[in-house]
Amino acid sequence: MRKLFLTIIAICSLAVVSGQDELSPERKEAVDSLALEKVRDLSRYISIIGNKDTPFSEANRVIDRAEELFAAGSEIGVSSINRSDINYYEVTEYFKRLMALNYDRVTIKWFNIQYISDLELQPDGRYVGVITVYQRFEGISADGLRYMDTTKKDITVYVERKQTQIGGRLIGFWDVMLGDIRVTETST
Amino acid sequence: MRHLFFLFSTLSTLLVAPVTAQVGEFVGDEDNLYAATKQVNQFLRRFNGEEDLTGRRYRVSDSSYREPELRRKYINILFDNKQKDISTELKEVFMSEIVDASKPEFLNFHGGSWFAQVSTKFNYKGQDETLQLFLRLQKEPIGSKWVIFKAYFDPFKSFFEIDTVDKGKFIHPMSHELDFMNLRKIFKDPEVVAVYANRDFQPDYLSLILYEIKKGNLTFSSVERVKFHFFQLDDWYFELTEFNRSGPNTGWLISNLLKTDSQQKQILREFIYYEGH
Repeated sequence: MRKLFLTIIAICSLAVVSGQDELSPERKEAVDSLALEKVRDLSRYISIIGNKDTPFSEANRVIDRAEELFAAGSEIGVSSINRSDINYYEVTEYFKRLMALNYDRVTIKWFNIQYISDLELQPDGRYVGVITVYQRFEGISADGLRYMDTTKKDITVYVERKQTQIGGRLIGFWDVMLGDIRVTETST
Repeated sequence: MRHLFFLFSTLSTLLVAPVTAQVGEFVGDEDNLYAATKQVNQFLRRFNGEEDLTGRRYRVSDSSYREPELRRKYINILFDNKQKDISTELKEVFMSEIVDASKPEFLNFHGGSWFAQVSTKFNYKGQDETLQLFLRLQKEPIGSKWVIFKAYFDPFKSFFEIDTVDKGKFIHPMSHELDFMNLRKIFKDPEVVAVYANRDFQPDYLSLILYEIKKGNLTFSSVERVKFHFFQLDDWYFELTEFNRSGPNTGWLISNLLKTDSQQKQILREFIYYEGH
């Protein structure tokens, strides 16, 4: 219900751009907020999926919700400090692996920092940008061993002009989908 | 705390009101994360003086937008501090020409004269090999995209090596009168065929690589490293590399800086492309 409300708010706040396909700096700021909302959703879903207290059925339901945030074919590329190779995962596979991590307790938190790039127009008419966020992971195994890391997540966001019918009227709005994510373990 | 001091001392004039939490819930030592140049996009904005300390874009109407003192402070933290080849004197000359000049220079994402060098790992005949790809932005009827415009693959290099000592291998100047019938002999020895190409011949690695990929002989494994070469500023070249290390001097930083004229820039380009050697 909250999501529907947010979507309607987003549509209404951007409806003023109806009939115009170009993003002015002011509109870009509005779209930035919408994109950040999607990233916030993703962050919340990742924390729930990774949490060992989350029931299996609930985690699977959240994975379904998380997948809906992504454009088809999106991948997650993961590397660590000690390995330059990147492991590529499909979104579902990444979430399933996160759910199955072999720790007794897992805590995933997010730093209060994000960086939002400019939006660039790509040849298919969609805009593309990257939002960078940082995640702190902590896992404690059955024998009490603690593993911690901080990862930088560079998240692709696609912004596309769409139309929807509300009360018989066609209203234009900007829709945001997430795309590929690059995950890098940081030294900080 | 030391890093916080660093930020305050180097960027004191940039400080604005604290950022409110938007994505996260974790409150930790985030000073280094703020200091890090997190994206190439942020490098460009900082270089041009187009955002505040928290990464918030300035509008063109903001008084701080592209303000010279702000740019000086930003550019000063955009160098890899561990790269001792970039002297303090060179940085000063660079800043005086780029920032303080009567006609200051700015970096433009769509301004051309900069490109990416991507070191990739490919599997070639059962072995992992490094393959260099060079990409640049290309304008399209709508928007833009990155395109591969050059490549280099070391295993192919030996195919084009020429024995410059042996002067006995050539197609003699009257061969045309014999309908070049001597080509039959020339192509009998595949090892040395490159010697019969013209003096300025440069192998087109990109065509060869695309051909081998299409034939299934070359398969992509992974991206190893990315760096950028900027030739956009008059009389200057710099290299941009991503550093992943602790402390505030991390992220996308200038790892090489040279004062160069246009002729030297051309030589440098050829060197980067692995051409002529």
